[in-house]
Amino acid sequence: MIVLEWLFLTIAACDAAEPWQLGFQDAATPMMQGIIDLHHDIFFFLILILVFVLRILVRALWHFHYQKNPIPQRIVHGTTIEILRTIFPSIIPMFIAIPSFALLYSMDEVVVDPAITIKAIGHQWYRTYEYSDYNSSDEQSLTFDSYTIPEDDLELGQSRLLEVDNRVVVPAKTHLRIIVTSADVPHSWAVPSSGVKCDAVPGRLNQISISVQREGVYYGQCSEICGTNHAFTSIVVEAVPRKDYGSRVSNQLIPQTGEA
Amino acid sequence: MAEAQSDKTPSLAEDYLLEKEKQDVATKPVEVKEVESAVTASSVEGATDKVEETPAAAAVEESKEDAPAPAPEESTEASSASPEDSTSDTAPAAAEESSETTEEENSGDQEASEETPDIKLETAPADFRFPTTNQTRHCFTRYIEYHRCVAAKGEGAPECDKFAKYYRALCPSDWIEKWNEQRENGTFPGPL
Repeated sequence: MIVLEWLFLTIAACDAAEPWQLGFQDAATPMMQGIIDLHHDIFFFLILILVFVLRILVRALWHFHYQKNPIPQRIVHGTTIEILRTIFPSIIPMFIAIPSFALLYSMDEVVVDPAITIKAIGHQWYRTYEYSDYNSSDEQSLTFDSYTIPEDDLELGQSRLLEVDNRVVVPAKTHLRIIVTSADVPHSWAVPSSGVKCDAVPGRLNQISISVQREGVYYGQCSEICGTNHAFTSIVVEAVPRKDYGSRVSNQLIPQTGEA
Repeated sequence: MAEAQSDKTPSLAEDYLLEKEKQDVATKPVEVKEVESAVTASSVEGATDKVEETPAAAAVEESKEDAPAPAPEESTEASSASPEDSTSDTAPAAAEESSETTEEENSGDQEASEETPDIKLETAPADFRFPTTNQTRHCFTRYIEYHRCVAAKGEGAPECDKFAKYYRALCPSDWIEKWNEQRENGTFPGPL
């Protein structure tokens, strides 16, 4: 176990940042899976190019020594090589661009009608979440604030500056629409495992559509400098089975309807 | 993760296909049928108890109820069955157990639906007038559409309910509050 950790291999799914983490967090949505795959695909060619360029560089430095080889070859022209070294580097970015743009636009696209809408509203320095699909009037709404748990109140096993008091509960394997906005200054709603980083801009509603593929608890942090307590504006998404989501929402709705 | 591994590994497309879509795809996958037949006995009773309708409707109801269930159901059965292959006499017991649990779940669902407001996973659909990330105008348009509808059809017209649902789903409650105030004062900026 410890050896595996030394090798940066973890066994459990990694849904939050951890010490000395070098790679991505594990994907929970097809979007994040696409991002990771694109990263790996590009890195394969990136490393090939790196090795090739380094080889040329090191070879040049090695051979053109002021004592061993004081007079280098004096080539100032070479049409063939000039054409090659112009064309190839310009083709490579094009080939990188194709999958990159395909992924980018597919992330934007809303293919199917979402099943629920959640509004994530950034405040200084907490987040408000609204579940308004079940409203029958303007006032009644399943709304709660989500504050980061202060360092002193943490229990054993909870992550510092990640854990919040009220998590966003979403159903797994369901298309979600998340409307991200802010009430004061720009914030950002970012959850690495779901491949989401969406700016929350006051006066504007940004939509992201995700579909969490597995149940779990996913952690994220504010990604837009939003003031002194920027670090204390974390996000926790808890994906539960659909059935549990229904009962959870209805349980939370009862006291509210009772009051109203 | 263990569930995914114990199952036969599906292709990427199958993996990301949602349960609902799986049923919508009319090819009638075999695995779903198996699960249904395994669970049918209990769930049919539950469904017919709940709704006194034609058998066809009941069947639809049943399939709807089953929709979120199949994958975990199947995997648990598979996992419970695999170590017990050597002692085959315990297999029926396991099956009974699983059917009991589903029955309990179903009854629990019914109780929950009787006690609490029914939760339907439904929200404002994707609107092709607003295909971009920026949904500000989507919310605003739905709000205006609702109030225009009310103005045309009269207060409490059932046709307008869906617009109300849409704008409540899309707009932050602060905005709705502000706009309601503005409408009362006659300072609402939109074309009502």
